[in-house]
Amino acid sequence: MFRFKREQSVVNLAGVRMGGQPGELASVLCGTIFYQGHKIVEDEERGLFDRAAAEKLVARQGELSEETGCPSVLHIYARSSEAFSRYLDFTEKVWSGPFIIDSADPATRMAAAALASEQGYADKAIYNSISLATDEAEARAILDSELDSAIILAYNPTQPGVEGSLTVLETGGAAREKGLLDAARDMGINNMLIDPAVLPLGSGAGAALRFSVAAKARLGLPVGSGIHNAVSSWPWLSRKEAPAKRGCDAAAAAMQLLAGADFLLYGPIEMAEIIFPAAAMADILVAEAVADLEIEPADAHPLHRLV
Amino acid sequence: MTEENFRGSRLYTDPWPPLRGDYQVGDPRSAVAVVTLASPLLIKGCAIFGQCVTENLGLEKIVANVISNCNIRFLIVCGLESKGHLPGNTLLALHKNGIDPQGRIVGSKGAIPFIQNLPPEAISRFQEQVELIDCIGLLDVEEIEALVARHKREPFSEEPFLVFKRKAPIRAIATGDADLTLGAGVVMDASAWLVMEEV
Repeated sequence: MFRFKREQSVVNLAGVRMGGQPGELASVLCGTIFYQGHKIVEDEERGLFDRAAAEKLVARQGELSEETGCPSVLHIYARSSEAFSRYLDFTEKVWSGPFIIDSADPATRMAAAALASEQGYADKAIYNSISLATDEAEARAILDSELDSAIILAYNPTQPGVEGSLTVLETGGAAREKGLLDAARDMGINNMLIDPAVLPLGSGAGAALRFSVAAKARLGLPVGSGIHNAVSSWPWLSRKEAPAKRGCDAAAAAMQLLAGADFLLYGPIEMAEIIFPAAAMADILVAEAVADLEIEPADAHPLHRLV
Repeated sequence: MTEENFRGSRLYTDPWPPLRGDYQVGDPRSAVAVVTLASPLLIKGCAIFGQCVTENLGLEKIVANVISNCNIRFLIVCGLESKGHLPGNTLLALHKNGIDPQGRIVGSKGAIPFIQNLPPEAISRFQEQVELIDCIGLLDVEEIEALVARHKREPFSEEPFLVFKRKAPIRAIATGDADLTLGAGVVMDASAWLVMEEV
């Protein structure tokens, strides 16, 4: 393992600290609920779901977080603004930590940011995401909201690879006049979480690993990814039994953390049972690996809880 | 799994389809391929069918697998759109307008509609070889299968177009100062992932 020469910033999202040198802070683990095809959702458009089942999933993520020392974030996916409104109503009753606002539909994301602000949750909400797809209307909606935390998606289809991802963050490259970091600042975003956008295996998924190290070295910002996408989009693995899939999910998570990631968008919240132990183990190994590099693990680090 | 046409040359690549993905192969001699967008439908009688939920990499696979089989002359675009990504809208735009010099699909309303792994000739070939049938929103499997059965045409009169997987160019990355340390006098340039002894 290693220590970055550049100072590594730490962001504080509703009490959850993220970033720093590898081995310093525990990894932040973000489980997705109400995702497309989630069995507990009965009506994706209206946001009707099995509350008891959802409560159980959220509580279990919280328990594992408490047990391991890896903080957690609730990643809320909504198909419509009506659905998000119901999910937020549920979230405020069962979850006190930070949450991610996510939707494939920009209108839903914008409405969600406005709603979270109106209801006084702007300091807990993380906008997912600011990317090349963010147009003027969405940028205005983010600025008009009170949110100041966002995931910045460094996907650059005009220049694949690590350099292309850094370019889209810093200058915008061929695809955008301004870099996404400056654009996000213009939208009022202070807490920037960098995500390289994980492509399928065979299309460049591995670049996320080198990007994580390069981005932290160059920018000093918290970096993470949804590395599980590489696993879930792998047709060969889809024909295998559950243990093989779980093994790959745990391995991918640990590899991303070994490559310096500060947070993981670990996919379906049901995966918490597999991801928390794997991430806690990776955190301990990393902390032990940098023990003689003058890096002190934080009090709540898995190193102090589990061994 | 090859077949010969009237000129004695192959009508589709071996193996076909050349790219793996979320699809099922039917009869490669059929003139019709079906993309069911975000809807998991099972369509009988066509050459290939499958879902597509992204407006960039998913489309590239469709184009590459279609133009590598000269029998395919129609592409039925059906099922529900993937919200925000809009691969159906983007596929229609790609076929109608092509891409600009940056690779952006002209006229698409999708989130990040770029082509990065196909040469321009592959897109021209796609435009020439197949006719797109816009049935976005259609979920009735019987109706889709009736459309498949109704569409027949002679194979495209050129060789199958094989899109080779583009390898990222190997470039010498300029190395600068070491920006992380591994201890014991070993440092690393994080951009190049170059590990070296500290000078």
